[in-house]
Amino acid sequence: MSNLFDKTTDALATSIRMRQLRHNVTSSNIANAETPHYHAKKVDFENALASALEMDNISLSEGGSSNYTEKLSVEAYDNPDVAVNNDGNTVDLEKEMSALAENSIMYKTALQLINKKMAAMKYALGER
Amino acid sequence: MSDFLSGFRISGSGMSAQRARLNTISSNISNINTTRTPEGGPYRRKDIVFEAVQDTKSFGDIVANQNNKADFSQVQVSDIIYDKKAPLMKFEPNHPDANSEGYVAYPNINLMEEMTNMVQATRSYEANVQAIQSTKDMALSALEIGR
Repeated sequence: MSNLFDKTTDALATSIRMRQLRHNVTSSNIANAETPHYHAKKVDFENALASALEMDNISLSEGGSSNYTEKLSVEAYDNPDVAVNNDGNTVDLEKEMSALAENSIMYKTALQLINKKMAAMKYALGER
Repeated sequence: MSDFLSGFRISGSGMSAQRARLNTISSNISNINTTRTPEGGPYRRKDIVFEAVQDTKSFGDIVANQNNKADFSQVQVSDIIYDKKAPLMKFEPNHPDANSEGYVAYPNINLMEEMTNMVQATRSYEANVQAIQSTKDMALSALEIGR
């Protein structure tokens, strides 16, 4: 199916959605940095997104129309590689703060890229 | 559904929890020498218990009747506990609150402990402020798509 917005835009939109989820998970880890028995949560989406993109490629070559990227959904899980504090809490505040900063930069990067795609499209449409 | 509003709610809950903790610490520090309380006896040191609670569902989720579990939790103050340490007894026979042997019960509060807790609470508060700052940044730049 040909679309005004191509696969890259879909992938970027999904990436933004996932980054937002990760941001919320990280914020919740930071808020609960001193809650006893709270376990730090984590979201992984990079691999899932990459394989969804691959599956989209396959379905495109077969003439299919299913969009795996858009349907991608991930779940947060308890981060396994952490040290447990005395009170059973597993949040590492420094790690969470750097994850927050990194995630926010990557989010803005995806936004930039979408904006550039939009600008290119506007240019093609002859809009000033 | 994960939106920015839940990010604000989560970090906000973290800030208010840390503020509540700072309030108990201030109360402990200011009452370090208090020998009279409404319930009788010397002031007892207060401590706060945090609890993680599931983030409330957004309006959109309820309208869409989506039953998906939120992956993130807010923090709330679940309880204020009283320290069970025995009071410090000081020999002050002239004090109006002295017992028959001349000893006055003072709160068993360690100032160093309170100060370190205070620094820790301040840092946690700042971390939450940083998270809100970053949420706001991201939300505002998302509004710029297609400009």
